Amino acid sequence: MALRAEDPSQLSKSRLKSDLVAHNVALPPSKSRKEVYVELHLKHIERKTAADFSSDEEEQARHAKEEHPEVPDPGALTDDDLQAALLKRGVKVGPVVASTRALYEKKLLKLLQPDGHGQLNGADSGAGYSDSEGEERGGEGDDAESDCEEEKQTVQRSDQAPQQRRQLDMAVVDERTRTDQSLYYTPKASAHKTKTKLHQEPVEPTFKDMFAATESTPTGIYATQRRPIKGAAGRPVRYAYPDTPSSPSTLQRREVARRLVPVHIQLVVFLVVTCLLYFIYVCVEDNSWSPFLASLDNRNQGPDSEEGLLLQADTPALSGQE
Amino acid sequence: MSTTSQKHRDFVGEPMGDKPVTALSGIGDSLGKKLEDQGFDKAFVVLGQFLLLKKDTEMFTEWLKDASGANSRQAGSCAQCLKEWCDAFL
Repeated sequence: MALRAEDPSQLSKSRLKSDLVAHNVALPPSKSRKEVYVELHLKHIERKTAADFSSDEEEQARHAKEEHPEVPDPGALTDDDLQAALLKRGVKVGPVVASTRALYEKKLLKLLQPDGHGQLNGADSGAGYSDSEGEERGGEGDDAESDCEEEKQTVQRSDQAPQQRRQLDMAVVDERTRTDQSLYYTPKASAHKTKTKLHQEPVEPTFKDMFAATESTPTGIYATQRRPIKGAAGRPVRYAYPDTPSSPSTLQRREVARRLVPVHIQLVVFLVVTCLLYFIYVCVEDNSWSPFLASLDNRNQGPDSEEGLLLQADTPALSGQE
Repeated sequence: MSTTSQKHRDFVGEPMGDKPVTALSGIGDSLGKKLEDQGFDKAFVVLGQFLLLKKDTEMFTEWLKDASGANSRQAGSCAQCLKEWCDAFL
């Protein structure tokens, strides 16, 4: 609301009173004359008319300076100083850039307030937060996804303890908080995660080198152990074992398989031999059995002439064939 | 799996590529529009902000609430979604 550049003496006493109250100025006793009010009005509100925003910041700065002479307004700090101030209070901060600066400034303010006067300033900041949250909630109303219940919850929570809610060291327990995880996010290198991975880990010597260097990073930014993207960004997929090892049973099967082929050849040979023998049998049968029987009788009579008789048996068979 | 939505599972299941910011779990059309107005038009830009905050879900939740007016549930869902994506792919 823009302040009118009017002479305060022209304003009514009640108006002056309300103006003073609005600017957090201590009211004089109610029986005072209007001039007292005018004086106070001029003294305190004069500053406002000069430049609204800058005077707000000045008041804030003065507030902050009164509380903490060591750390001035976070808005006035450089990026590095802001980072250092937060690190001093044990907050892990990333780089302070355009998009993160506002967030870190707010965080530092929050951390400064409990150190200083405490409740009073906390109430102020709480009022400030509830105002901004009111705006945010107004924006939420347009959201299709937001539920009425959620809004009520945030209202209740903000009304109860804005400080507690805003303390980021405390875990924010929603009704939808996952119970199987811890509420505090601590990015430690979790070795067990890599063991439970289902896929084979490719052997990457550069990967390990990366981890060896993490302790000596100057900015304190370290990478947690993660499974690398396989086959992406020019990273070839290399496995520790080039071929799958064959079990003894498969080796045996292979040996047996090798023998299977000769078995066929063996069968063929057997059949050929059988055929030959049958052929010979048929040939023998064609000739009369009489010379064969005769040779057998001779054989029974005298074993000496055995060889000669055999020869005789062979030659008639052959001559018979011709 | 019981507390994650289908949108969460869809996002976390594959590299985000050029997905719009509305593909993030917890970010609907109106929140997406607000983020796009600030320059966060793709999911990977929001991922960039998440990484700048050193993958701290609480800080990211706070930032998202300030930047887009999301409520705690939406911001928390988005932060969880990004965290799991990073666990899987980063």
